[in-house]
Amino acid sequence: MRRGFRRRIANALMRHAARVMPAAEMDWSAAMRNELEAIEDDHVALRWSAGCLVAGYSERLNSLLQTWYARAALACLIALLACREFFAPLLIFVYRAHDLELAHFLGLRTAGDDYRRLIPVLEATPSWLPVLWIAAGLLFLVALWRMLRKSDASALPFFLAFGLDLVGAVTAKSIEASTKVVITPDLLVRAAGEVLMLSTGFLLWRMTRKATRRAN
Amino acid sequence: MGRKPIHSRQTNRLLGAMLKDPLAWQHGYALMKQTGLQSGTLYPVLLRLCDQGLLEAQWRESDQPGKPPRHVYRLTQTGLAFAREQAAPARGKQGFLREAKA
Repeated sequence: MRRGFRRRIANALMRHAARVMPAAEMDWSAAMRNELEAIEDDHVALRWSAGCLVAGYSERLNSLLQTWYARAALACLIALLACREFFAPLLIFVYRAHDLELAHFLGLRTAGDDYRRLIPVLEATPSWLPVLWIAAGLLFLVALWRMLRKSDASALPFFLAFGLDLVGAVTAKSIEASTKVVITPDLLVRAAGEVLMLSTGFLLWRMTRKATRRAN
Repeated sequence: MGRKPIHSRQTNRLLGAMLKDPLAWQHGYALMKQTGLQSGTLYPVLLRLCDQGLLEAQWRESDQPGKPPRHVYRLTQTGLAFAREQAAPARGKQGFLREAKA
């Protein structure tokens, strides 16, 4: 008998789910596939397979996050985010301490390659804002330390740091508006920074969830 | 010392469903129907609970002729104790004590 279109799609999705499932969990993909055979209704079978595909990718991601290279990449990303938080306070401090040589060196790493463009912003920044950025950077380092120690609670300091960073970004935006100096003119670069931070946080959360599961 | 298992809302729903008949072996599709969880949520939870030793799984021949064997699941003794512990606050102390006596 010719099988229905939905059933064929369901079978194709299930085959794909079995392919993406980590090799160590092949028993589970066989369990999901055999369960599909027992489902008579094609519509339910399609929903079943779509769910199994999600489960397959989810397990693949969990498995990938347990590899040393994924951990190393994530550690580098978190360290990079911490450095990013420390950069602005350092530039402000150096400028206010009149170490113009170092300010020039740091300015080369900003948009426009010159710290002098940012002088109105450096002068208008309230003193609590660098403290907030430093706190965010330290929280990123705490998250990194906890991740390296395979602690369950590494996502919490990460998302706290993300929250502080957002507060800092909103404040910086108002300073930009009052001084009419745009710190990072490229919107894409700004958006990429936020997306990178959120993706890193998500992966960290997934990684630590998995660590709890495997520890038992 | 082992860490505390994660217990999400979905995990609790599954444990609650399995607690109704803790000795029975149940297959994935039946559990999906009982809990209302989608397979994409159900299987990672099953996998995790098996990893944590709260569930045991085995292959059983299908009731339907010509169909492949099916994976079935049941609470372990640890799982049963854990599921009861999770269910206790929801039912209240009285209900929990009644169940323990039974």
